[in-house]
Amino acid sequence: MNKVVNVNLGGVPFIIDENAFEHLSKYMELLKIHFKHMEGSEEILSDIESRLGELFTEYLGSRQIVEITDVKKAIGVMGTPEDLGAEEEWEEITDNSKERQQSGDYNHQKRKYQTGKRLFRDKENSIISGTCSGLAAYFGVADPVWVRIGFVLAGLASAGSAILAYLIIWAITPAAKSAKDRLMMRGEKIDVDAISRKVKEEFDNVEKQFNEFSDSFKKKR
Amino acid sequence: MKKGILEMCILAIISKEEVYASDIIDRLKSGNLIVVEGTLYPMLSRLKKAGHLDHYWQESQAGPPRKYYRLTPEGEEFLQNLSTSWEEMVKSVSSLTSKNKSNNE
Repeated sequence: MNKVVNVNLGGVPFIIDENAFEHLSKYMELLKIHFKHMEGSEEILSDIESRLGELFTEYLGSRQIVEITDVKKAIGVMGTPEDLGAEEEWEEITDNSKERQQSGDYNHQKRKYQTGKRLFRDKENSIISGTCSGLAAYFGVADPVWVRIGFVLAGLASAGSAILAYLIIWAITPAAKSAKDRLMMRGEKIDVDAISRKVKEEFDNVEKQFNEFSDSFKKKR
Repeated sequence: MKKGILEMCILAIISKEEVYASDIIDRLKSGNLIVVEGTLYPMLSRLKKAGHLDHYWQESQAGPPRKYYRLTPEGEEFLQNLSTSWEEMVKSVSSLTSKNKSNNE
């Protein structure tokens, strides 16, 4: 017995098996990273999404639920980021300079995966804005409470100007929204395994919160 | 180089009739020109940005509206130029290779 999820692919609703959904969302996340530096990446992704929907409709026939085999088959047709990357890199090597001029601003953009650390606000472990926990993650401090204490002490010692610094950091750092952001926040390498691990963690988190919620609901009754 | 040829093929397909992405994929596949479909979408988006292509939405009987592509006048001209240089290249390459053959003999 498997849970199913409802998804919308290019305006068409699909019922999809939970495993298949996880696999698909991982794939889309990787594509998003792959196309991130291309202009019009949103459009490319939405085109791909619609096409995946078409493929599913084709595979489903009279069946109702998209299964993991369907997802794998569709990904095989569409190509993994590695497939796309391999073709593009090959093209880059064989490109001549004339072609580079014709395709304009596209070529100087790097399409390598970013592995560098970036400063994010960690809203999941936040007290006020996640600034301190983000800093802790960035500098590898195990417990963000030390950063918080540091800020409070600095605030007292500097008669408030550390608070101003805090507000500025808050304002200029983005919140870590996706699994990819959270990996970059810690400087972890971004690859298929790392992201799937992260996505799974997020799933577990949601499940935990849901259980807690339903428990408290039961208690109230 | 391969990308240039692919772009030319895509433009040629679109110049014959107004098509949507799956039609282009089918034609390219039947000609063994692409391996994975994912490579097509970035190219379409790039051609569109360069002003060679244009798209519009058309209702379909099955499912949501489809995105159809057509060439712009600039695209037509670009395709003309590409075809001319392609023909020139084929001519010179084939004359070179045939010369080589006669040398070897």
